Amino acid sequence: MELLDFYADWCGPCQMMKPNVEEFAKAHPEVSVRAVNIDDEEELAEKYNVSSIPCLVVLKDGEEVAREVGVLPVKKLEKLVEKAK
Amino acid sequence: MLDVIIIGAGIAGMTAGIYAVRAGKKVLILENKVEGGQIINTVDIENWPGDLGISGVDLTRKIKEHAEKLGVSFDYVDISEIKKDGDKFVVISDDGEEFMARSLIIATGTEPRKMSEEQTVSAGSRPISYCATCDGALYKGKKVVVVGHGNSAKHEVKYLEGICSKVYNIHHDEPIPEDAEAVFVAIGRVPNTAIFKGLVDMDSEGYIVAGEDCKTSCDGVFVAGDVRTKNLRQLVTAASDGAVAATEVINYLG
Repeated sequence: MELLDFYADWCGPCQMMKPNVEEFAKAHPEVSVRAVNIDDEEELAEKYNVSSIPCLVVLKDGEEVAREVGVLPVKKLEKLVEKAK
Repeated sequence: MLDVIIIGAGIAGMTAGIYAVRAGKKVLILENKVEGGQIINTVDIENWPGDLGISGVDLTRKIKEHAEKLGVSFDYVDISEIKKDGDKFVVISDDGEEFMARSLIIATGTEPRKMSEEQTVSAGSRPISYCATCDGALYKGKKVVVVGHGNSAKHEVKYLEGICSKVYNIHHDEPIPEDAEAVFVAIGRVPNTAIFKGLVDMDSEGYIVAGEDCKTSCDGVFVAGDVRTKNLRQLVTAASDGAVAATEVINYLG
């Protein structure tokens, strides 16, 4: 499983989301977590059609299986990934 | 059993937590997203005394750290139901988890008013955003539209004009221009009070009715911040409500 966290430095909600994503990553080493700065990786943001951030995309075998836009507490992030397993 | 459950971890809720915990009360703040509330979208705050230019994120982190240091607990759940059982309150999460307290402070704030069904249909599959400073940069050099003509809409238009090639500005009852690639909506805010229907009195817009003493129509339930009926919704008035509501809770608990 992979979790992509699309963010930008100028986005307040993304900054609030960052420690939650980090806490999730620590507790779930089985999920590969990657923070994607949409200013540096425009192509990836476009590929995943990111139109609003923070945007969390869950991938299973490279395919998108779940997505959530907006800030999430760790508990909900865990649910999002758990449901997609 | 908790002394007070505070619903909402914005500035009002966290301030209420600080006051209640300093009076020796057992306090839990329940939040469904992250702390801070509306202010996390603000980059540059100019009306919070003592911290000119601080960002909403930094201010939120400072207040949360302050509250935690004093002993306020936080938990993150969606609330599905609130029951009054004699003189205690049971707050039930969507997972069925139950939290019990002798009093409640409602500090759930407001959220952006959603676009009308008609306008949403006319937007088709185009992205709809309620935060220009969050999403504006995704539309560099593109054509976008801002719905609404209030102060916040004007602010969003100005912000987007610095990024986008063209910014249309329309009213809430006009169709979305065909060549706009994204829609930014700024047509006011509505209170987050759906789960409190039947528990406390609300005005016609859904704001919880209470005077400066923050007392609602239900004994033991208090309200603080933007979700209360009031004239001025600001960080300092939210913090002020938090202090008043917590003090009333302390008096109520005796």
